[in-house]
Amino acid sequence: MAKKIIGWFYSIIILIFFYAPVAVLMAMSFNKSRYGALPFEFSTEWYRVLFSNQKLIQAALDSLAIAAVTAVLCVVLGTAMMLGQREFNSRVKAFFNSLVVFPLVIPWIILGLSLLLLLRALGLDRNYAMLLIGHVVVSFPYAVMVIGARLEDMNSEIQEASYNLGANEWTTFKRITLPMLSPAMLAGGFLAFMISFDNFVLSYFLIPTGKTTLPIEIYSSIKFGFTPEINAISSIILAATLLMITVIAVLMRSSLMRMFK
Amino acid sequence: MKKKALLVSPAMFILIAFAVVPLFIMLYFSFISDGGVPGFTLENYARFFSKPLYLALTWKTIKMSALVTLISILVGYPMAYIIAKIIKSGREILLLLIIIPFWSSQLVRAYSWMNLLRDGGILQDFLAKLHLFKGGELGILFTQTAVIIGLVHIFCPYMIITSYMTLEKIDDSVLEASKSLGANPITTFLRVILPMSKAGIVTGAILIFVPCLGSFVEPRILGGVNGSVIGTVIQDQFFEIYGWNFGAAIAFILLAMVLVSMGVMSAVNRRGEENG
Repeated sequence: MAKKIIGWFYSIIILIFFYAPVAVLMAMSFNKSRYGALPFEFSTEWYRVLFSNQKLIQAALDSLAIAAVTAVLCVVLGTAMMLGQREFNSRVKAFFNSLVVFPLVIPWIILGLSLLLLLRALGLDRNYAMLLIGHVVVSFPYAVMVIGARLEDMNSEIQEASYNLGANEWTTFKRITLPMLSPAMLAGGFLAFMISFDNFVLSYFLIPTGKTTLPIEIYSSIKFGFTPEINAISSIILAATLLMITVIAVLMRSSLMRMFK
Repeated sequence: MKKKALLVSPAMFILIAFAVVPLFIMLYFSFISDGGVPGFTLENYARFFSKPLYLALTWKTIKMSALVTLISILVGYPMAYIIAKIIKSGREILLLLIIIPFWSSQLVRAYSWMNLLRDGGILQDFLAKLHLFKGGELGILFTQTAVIIGLVHIFCPYMIITSYMTLEKIDDSVLEASKSLGANPITTFLRVILPMSKAGIVTGAILIFVPCLGSFVEPRILGGVNGSVIGTVIQDQFFEIYGWNFGAAIAFILLAMVLVSMGVMSAVNRRGEENG
């Protein structure tokens, strides 16, 4: 019993450490004072300022578009890869796997600048195509992990039964595999979306001149000093993340818990 | 045969062409002079290793990453143990609460500490109210301490999750056995629990140490002028000074540090498996 009390006490301290800065940020986005001074005075001023900041809104829309395309590409490429790789032998599979986790173990600053140098070697300027490729490379492992975990759980006998009953491969894929896989594809897509939406490093290196994304805008605002509308947009991002994580957790409850075992 | 290759190849092409090949291109550029000296040259590497400033920053980066990793172990491992072995009801909620910050924007989380740590910010007010802090300025923001706090906040969840995954697998009956054979809790911890969960700690350490080596956003935001590390030096070469080839050489040195540290840690892990 004493152990449990100490355990909960410790957990609460850790959770305060994790959540306090974020909670303060959200509270301050509703504080009237420009510099977050106390006493707290409720105001939606900074949200009003935010929504009249055209540059920030445009950056947010661009980031959403980039993240959406990245997520779709990751899910399509990842599903195809995971379906195809099942039929290879284990050594080839291990090779595929190490390629997939590769972008996870190389710091993003190295991936970003090496893609910039690739553009230079090809004689090209920074462009959205390379930016998207960069985003796909770093988001891909997350999508694959979720889709792969679900595929492993799936019983291949069901697919064999489908073949035995005379369905061809396409019908089996459309009627059996895809419906069973779709929650994982959705969850993997959400994860890839979030990685891409938040990604500062790759965008920073690869964004075309004169363009911007939300994380880049946030970064430069922070560097130039304190702007309260950054509190507001950060709070919106955090709230949206919370919502998405909840959706993923509901979609993937069983598979996610199994990933931790 | 053809179909499975067709399914796998688009993803493999992207990963090889845009994650592996660019590293070799980076290596190539690191041997080209920024100053226009023709042909291959070791100039960039010579410049890095002959300047005490760069060596000092390399050492600072390694120390910072090691400290963040160590603090994350000391803070995160007990948390993982509590979730795996002590609090059994409410475990899913706790795990979820730890995963949520892990998925929220790193940039926003680093920034959120600015509000707290600023001189005259919330933390200073709070400490003053508790009479733990008297007058003057807090003086944490724009120091190395702020960078370390921010990095631990961002990366500690990795340690909790990887340690939890190994601790959870240890059967309670093993712990009972150790106890009934007369081992006290400390002996049980050192001889049973720790060796059996070492793999999780090592994996977590890699997942923390490596990105810390390459970090530049958090040091910039929270460390200000005191935050220079290898990552910020590379960033400056690409965005301020336009010494791209020199930047490529530093990035390659960073990559070498990453690979060596991963090699060392996975060797530690393997030795543990043989002994265990």
